[in-house]
Amino acid sequence: MKAAKAKPAWLTPGVLRHLKRVEHDFHVRAFGEEMARVNFLPLAQRRRYVAEMVDHAVRKGVKFDKPALGVTP
Amino acid sequence: MPLSYAELEKFYESLVARARRRGIACAITSGMACVAFGVAQATQDCDLLCAPAAAGKLLGLLGEARLHGQPPRYRGHLTPPLDARWLRGGWTSHFVWDAAGAEAYLDIFGVAPRGSSPWEAELQGFYAGPHTVAEMKRTNREKDWPFVTALGVKLLEAGDPRGWLHLFNYDVLIQTAAKLSCPAEMIALRPVLGLLAPGEERLEVALKGEIEFWNQLDRLRIRVHEHAVRPYMLAVKRDRRANDPALHTQHLVRVEHAERLLPVNPLRQHGLERLIAEAQAQAARFVQPGALDWLPDVRGCFIGLSE
Repeated sequence: MKAAKAKPAWLTPGVLRHLKRVEHDFHVRAFGEEMARVNFLPLAQRRRYVAEMVDHAVRKGVKFDKPALGVTP
Repeated sequence: MPLSYAELEKFYESLVARARRRGIACAITSGMACVAFGVAQATQDCDLLCAPAAAGKLLGLLGEARLHGQPPRYRGHLTPPLDARWLRGGWTSHFVWDAAGAEAYLDIFGVAPRGSSPWEAELQGFYAGPHTVAEMKRTNREKDWPFVTALGVKLLEAGDPRGWLHLFNYDVLIQTAAKLSCPAEMIALRPVLGLLAPGEERLEVALKGEIEFWNQLDRLRIRVHEHAVRPYMLAVKRDRRANDPALHTQHLVRVEHAERLLPVNPLRQHGLERLIAEAQAQAARFVQPGALDWLPDVRGCFIGLSE
């Protein structure tokens, strides 16, 4: 993800390292180890993983479409 | 042969690229944007933000867009027309391409629900910016909330202090605050951040209050729309022309009925202040006393909704 502006002074290398650790721990807790691993893959690999996951689910009959209500959560 | 996710993604991205070449401001949001931002989600439908003024042009483009040779059609009888008037009022238009084994679902928003800044101002490639995506994820679905926090951390890592506005997980907030002070302007926008002081026991309760409030606000927003759409839905359902194979005819039929029966902006009609007060009252039923004392002022979270 690109920063919109120049790097602010508060974002020191130490703070960034800390945020990365916090982020990783949270992804493991919130999404599980496998999805946390996927989330930190390079974009192309992440997309490929999601594609395989979705395609597999579709083959097994999973429907991903939401009801068309004219308003979306 | 079923359409693969990769093909589907390519289809949506090429749709956005073609739209932009025609001067239509639009961006993919929600689940597909989350995948791009590093918070993977299994999703297959595409949520698209489109500048309401460009609704007519986008409809023209959809009319030409084929998937395995199939044109799209309006999905169901509840779908409002893709028209600037209703898009500005917070409605979503739903489309489907349903060639055998190659279904694609497209939901088009003109207004980002809960958006507090213009989404057009911060696009990232094909996608809406993470700040907008995170605001849109403050829904009444429990599963969305970890995505909000994850996007909040991503924003901070990118040097954007608005990440603080999206951290809803207690541990993440405490751990982040251990190394980083929250700027006063973020606390002004989100008072719960003022409880980040060490030993402050009210933080966890206040976070639950915030989430419950957003949950109720979204539930009420949807209820207002569902109530408003009913007469229109019945008229469209009765009208055989609504199922005409030509998208243009489906559209004209929907506009005809919408002009008579579909309120352009049911939320404004209901009253935003009233909606917010009702959400607070509902949330109060599910949280501890005092949990709602640090709610943000959400009157600015309806940006783009027509007056």
